[in-house]
Amino acid sequence: MAYNWNWAIFLSETPSGESTYLGWLLTGLQWTVTLSLSAWIIALTVGSLFGVLRTVPNRWLSMLAAAYVETFRNVPLLVQLFLWYFVLPELLPRGMGDAFKQLNPLMQQYIAATLCLGLFTGARVSEQVRSGIGALPRGQRNAALALGLTLPQAYRHVMLPMAFRLVIPPLTSEFLNIFKNSAVATTIGLIELSRQAQQLVDYTAQPYEAFIAVTLMYVMINVTVMFFMRRLEQKVRVPGYLGGNPS
Amino acid sequence: MISIRQVSKSYGSFQVLSDCSTEIKKGEVIVVCGPSGSGKSTLIKCVNGLEPFQSGEIIVDGISVGDPRTKLSTLRARVGMVFQHFELFPHMTIVDNLTLAQVKVLGRSRDEAAEKGLKLLERVGLKAHANKHPGALSGGQQQRVAIARALSMDPIAMLFDEPTSALDPEMINEVLDVMVELANEGMTMMCVTHEMGFARKVAHRVIFMDQGRIVEDAPKDDFFGQPRSERAQQFLSKILHH
Ligand SMILES: Nc1ncnc2c1ncn2[C@@H]1O[C@H](COP(=O)(O)OP(=O)(O)OP(=O)(O)O)[C@@H](O)[C@H]1O
Ligand SMILES: [Mg+2]
Repeated sequence: MAYNWNWAIFLSETPSGESTYLGWLLTGLQWTVTLSLSAWIIALTVGSLFGVLRTVPNRWLSMLAAAYVETFRNVPLLVQLFLWYFVLPELLPRGMGDAFKQLNPLMQQYIAATLCLGLFTGARVSEQVRSGIGALPRGQRNAALALGLTLPQAYRHVMLPMAFRLVIPPLTSEFLNIFKNSAVATTIGLIELSRQAQQLVDYTAQPYEAFIAVTLMYVMINVTVMFFMRRLEQKVRVPGYLGGNPS
Repeated sequence: MISIRQVSKSYGSFQVLSDCSTEIKKGEVIVVCGPSGSGKSTLIKCVNGLEPFQSGEIIVDGISVGDPRTKLSTLRARVGMVFQHFELFPHMTIVDNLTLAQVKVLGRSRDEAAEKGLKLLERVGLKAHANKHPGALSGGQQQRVAIARALSMDPIAMLFDEPTSALDPEMINEVLDVMVELANEGMTMMCVTHEMGFARKVAHRVIFMDQGRIVEDAPKDDFFGQPRSERAQQFLSKILHH
């Protein structure tokens, strides 16, 4: 059976008439990007904080951080999303729960998905940050302290700048993962990129065009992220360290 | 200036330091030697509170290191320390390595700190390298920068933990020269080192450690003339014949 290719489909109007199919995809893309970037901000902040806490000489703090990591890394992402979206609003104090349920549905989905993806990825980021700190020569911390810097100052000025440089490659792949993982948000109804592709298939009977277009959009996201992370890596590269040996 | 009184420390059941006592007066240069694992690094790190100890007392310039009320960062800012592996901060230029603590700890202005840093770099013969990163310098040069970095805090005493043992032989002297100069200027120094030439030249006393104990604590000439303990004699004949 011959397949009828029809690339012009993207320019035709949707049944509701307020947009084209391409317009649908672009709205989906927009949600995917917005959701992923806001979740990434949470992941980096929370991940750095807990990654640091796992390495400080205080048993309670490092246990707290370990508990966070183990919980969020080991419960399936989909389950976490359902907990955030369906269960948490019921557990919140009455007023807060009701306020959440009165938001428009799109906002509810966006908030739940952002927190879920952000904290899930944050647990993974925290492991990377911890391993970066662990990979530093132990003497660096002592050298910083021996100069009279406090422990927070030693982290801020000496250990973290190097630790983050070391973990740019694994953080890049976490950053890429967050875009892929953002597709779980379809399960609570957020119409992001992959969901729009599904809709296109349902409405137009042109599945190949729809999925090729969506694939290209995901590839584009990947290429952009890698481009900027590579730029960042070069920009902060330490002369005579990490691959470029001067001698 | 530094009093170490009956200091003991253990990791679990393993005793690293047993009942160590000694006294270092202002302007004195002490060399600490002993076999690997005898606790030299641990003892020197106890002096500026990088290692906690369970019993005994260490007083540095009137301040008790083990006292929980002592603000260790303030104390450490006044005692310089140089490490076996230099430990310069690789992401900062040489001059930034020298200004960081001056600015963050002593509250000096950036210009004032840089001026002081450059002066010290000149003194160790590395002013031309001020804007390079540590990775571009040889081991000997890095160690001289590390000494300059410690001096930038105007320390009242300096601690050295095997400052030349990670260096290629041809670089050892450039570092020892800086240390000798420092000793001759009257700096109070506690040096863990096996460079007996350095000890003969500038040390006032030599401390020999074995299995966590200070086995010998003698004026330089006595130590090199005839160490009292057999362990020290063996040790000395071994390192002098290599
Ligand atoms: N964190 C630790 N936990 C358990 N044991 C330790 C620890 N740090 C050091 N030790 C042990 O304490 C002993 C003394 O160590 P230290 O580093 O002070 O020896 P050293 O005299 O400096 O030896 P070297 O000449 O090899 O530097 C060693 O036997 C070492 O294995
Ligand atoms: Mg040692």
